Amino acid sequence: MVKFLKLYEKIGIFILIVFAGIFLAIASPNFLKVDTILNIITQGTYGVIVGFGMVLAITSGGFDLSVDAVVGLTSVFLSLLIPNIGIPSAIILSILISCFVGFLNGLIITKFGVNPLITTLSMATIIRGASLLIAKGRQIPISVEKFTVIGTGKLIGVPNPIWIMLVLFIMFFLLLNQTPYGRHICAIGSNESAARISGLNVTFVKIMVYVLVSFTASINGVIRTSQAMIGIPSMAPGFTLLVITITILGGTSLSGGKGNLIGAVFAGIFISMIYYGLNLIGVQYFYQLLSVGLVLLFALFVDGLRKRYLETAKIKGIKV
Amino acid sequence: MAEIPEDNVLLKMTGITKIFPGVTALKNVDFEVKYGEVHALVGENGAGKSTLIKILGGLYRPDGGEMLFEGKKVFFSDTHQAQLYKIAVIYQEFNLIPDLSVAENIFVGREPKTPGRLFINWRKLNAEAKKILDMLDINLDPRKFVSDLSVAERQMVEIAKALSLDARLIIMDEPTATLTEKEVVKLFEIINELKKQQVSIIYISHRLEEAFKLSERITVLRDGEKIGTKNTSQANQDEIVSMMVGKVVKDYFAGEKISESKKEALLEVKNYTIADQVYDINFKLYRGEILGFAGVLGSGIHHMLRSIYGAAPRTKGEIFFNDKKVLIKNTNDAIKLGIGFVTEDRKGEGILYDMSVMQNLTIIVIKALTFLKGMFVKPANEKKVFAQASKDLDIKFADLNQRIIFLSGGNQQKVIIGRTLISNCKVLILLEPTRGIDVGAKAEIHRIMRELANKGISIILSSSELPELVNLTDRCLVLYKGKMVAEFNRQNMDEEALVAAQIGQKINQA
Repeated sequence: MVKFLKLYEKIGIFILIVFAGIFLAIASPNFLKVDTILNIITQGTYGVIVGFGMVLAITSGGFDLSVDAVVGLTSVFLSLLIPNIGIPSAIILSILISCFVGFLNGLIITKFGVNPLITTLSMATIIRGASLLIAKGRQIPISVEKFTVIGTGKLIGVPNPIWIMLVLFIMFFLLLNQTPYGRHICAIGSNESAARISGLNVTFVKIMVYVLVSFTASINGVIRTSQAMIGIPSMAPGFTLLVITITILGGTSLSGGKGNLIGAVFAGIFISMIYYGLNLIGVQYFYQLLSVGLVLLFALFVDGLRKRYLETAKIKGIKV
Repeated sequence: MAEIPEDNVLLKMTGITKIFPGVTALKNVDFEVKYGEVHALVGENGAGKSTLIKILGGLYRPDGGEMLFEGKKVFFSDTHQAQLYKIAVIYQEFNLIPDLSVAENIFVGREPKTPGRLFINWRKLNAEAKKILDMLDINLDPRKFVSDLSVAERQMVEIAKALSLDARLIIMDEPTATLTEKEVVKLFEIINELKKQQVSIIYISHRLEEAFKLSERITVLRDGEKIGTKNTSQANQDEIVSMMVGKVVKDYFAGEKISESKKEALLEVKNYTIADQVYDINFKLYRGEILGFAGVLGSGIHHMLRSIYGAAPRTKGEIFFNDKKVLIKNTNDAIKLGIGFVTEDRKGEGILYDMSVMQNLTIIVIKALTFLKGMFVKPANEKKVFAQASKDLDIKFADLNQRIIFLSGGNQQKVIIGRTLISNCKVLILLEPTRGIDVGAKAEIHRIMRELANKGISIILSSSELPELVNLTDRCLVLYKGKMVAEFNRQNMDEEALVAAQIGQKINQA
């Protein structure tokens, strides 16, 4: 069992993708076309980009349930700001506003010691409410045509969202694995008291984690809004659970201390493949919801198994 | 109670084998316990003691061998079955529920009910609990919450719980590891009381003296095998130690004492007060000296040392470092000054579970092992620092990316000491650095401390093991209920005097 889990940890998600791929290739003659595959990956990037942030949060021993609300907030601000201050400034300002939400999350969690689940859940509700208020309950169309390039344009034949994901991947990968800051995130997720005793600035590290989660959520908001060309305060309902599914399925340990960004990328693509397959057989959206739930349960199950077997292994010093 | 059979054997395990993937934890082990016997089980970390008791407690199923309990062949598939057979295990990590009262914990799942069995009969619950506590001569209010109890009191609740289950066999895993001398005495009284009631006890301890004081027989395990069982009255400590480590070790504790300190104060603490903990403490720490702190629970030593390190607040007091007044607001300030701290709670605030051996060692200094103005970690630098430290401290590991939890307790402790040392500290505060680690690793940590002191590093050592203080320290300060009550130096320090001072007795100082 330990061996199996070790193998799963390394290549489990690839095997899932290969199986799904074979299945889809047989089921649909269109699947093995470049456009289809790029389309599936693009669909996957939405969750993956925010997954990067979520990987940091969960690795630090925290959680963020406010990401879907932040997507909506970004969307509303973009639609209001673009006509007034131009596209670049509007994007920067919307992202900064979102990052401030993350800062508030981090501040409440660290300074007042509130549970991250409750904090970010409350924040999600507040942000949703605020977004609806600001947009006066409407959806706000964006008429500046150029803005659509971000979400729908291509560079060297590859859709922009994939490029954005790659850039963010490199950023977050270096951050988590190659910087002292990333080391500190893992240390805090592993054992927060030990991190404190070792003189780490726990408060700063954690606040920055939540800022980064909101940052990724707001990037997602930019892409979605640019595709829809409309500011939607209630954009991306239920999106948070998808992000969490991608994170856990990707191999990030729910108990903290261990993050897997590459896994998140492939988990996102895998879930996108499931969606594609479900669309193929023409089933309803309800089944998509159901399938994400099932995949999350499966991922949690494996995570739980891993933890349990690790504990047994620990007792006699088996290397894992 | 069942009839006591002629051979007087309560538990007989034969040929017990337990295999974990890749390692055999127990090889064909025979073990028996007689009625009313205290049977000590000793061995270094990894010898298989925990595996054996976990089999007895129903946590693990053996892969081979059989067990006879009260003459009947038994097989435990879970902990509940072990309980049915009246076997109680008191693990190092207690299994009490902190938010319930003492009485509720003792009778958890078996609370006496009011007629109709709908509600708990609180009066009866508390009365029954009191009865058991009285039987053990434990002075504890059954209505008190477990979260408010000291470690020693929690342990007594565990024992009371075992007794309430009418346990025939109680297994105690390192029961004295976190107790003060006085509490140990109390525990021993309780054990003797249990013995009188024909309860058998398997006693696991790193402290050989205790095994000798308490037990009828001693069984030694090493590397999953039984080395032998001796009648305590016919055995001596050196013999048992050499059975444990597999080679002849003579007087594993003593070492040559370090050279005279140079009487140059590196750290000075003045009028240090923490409300409800310590009052008006003054002391100096000289360069290259090992300064001991002794005190029983409630002495406030740990609080004070944590506070000096910046990990806890203080009420008033001043700290001088190199004759300069310094303000330590948090642990980072202390580290910057060159004060290192090794916690007594290795699990709780020492090791970083999910990280590798190397990452555990370098966490404090990681910012310095970088390139591009501190942006990225430079793996070569990190490996170099790790290689040096692991060599200096003789840390044994399979590979540097191995997770720290797979090292033995002693090696984990070395990593944590190393973590602090490579941050270039000049003052090293050690709280119980040898708690819960095996004999060999203990001696090595003592050696490391001596070497460090010889290099000019000043060490503050707080330990509940008095021989450790007597053998290692240049001076020893004793705190009692938050006040400094005695200071010993090499000439007048001995265990008896320390014991007396720790429990607040007036002593004649030379």
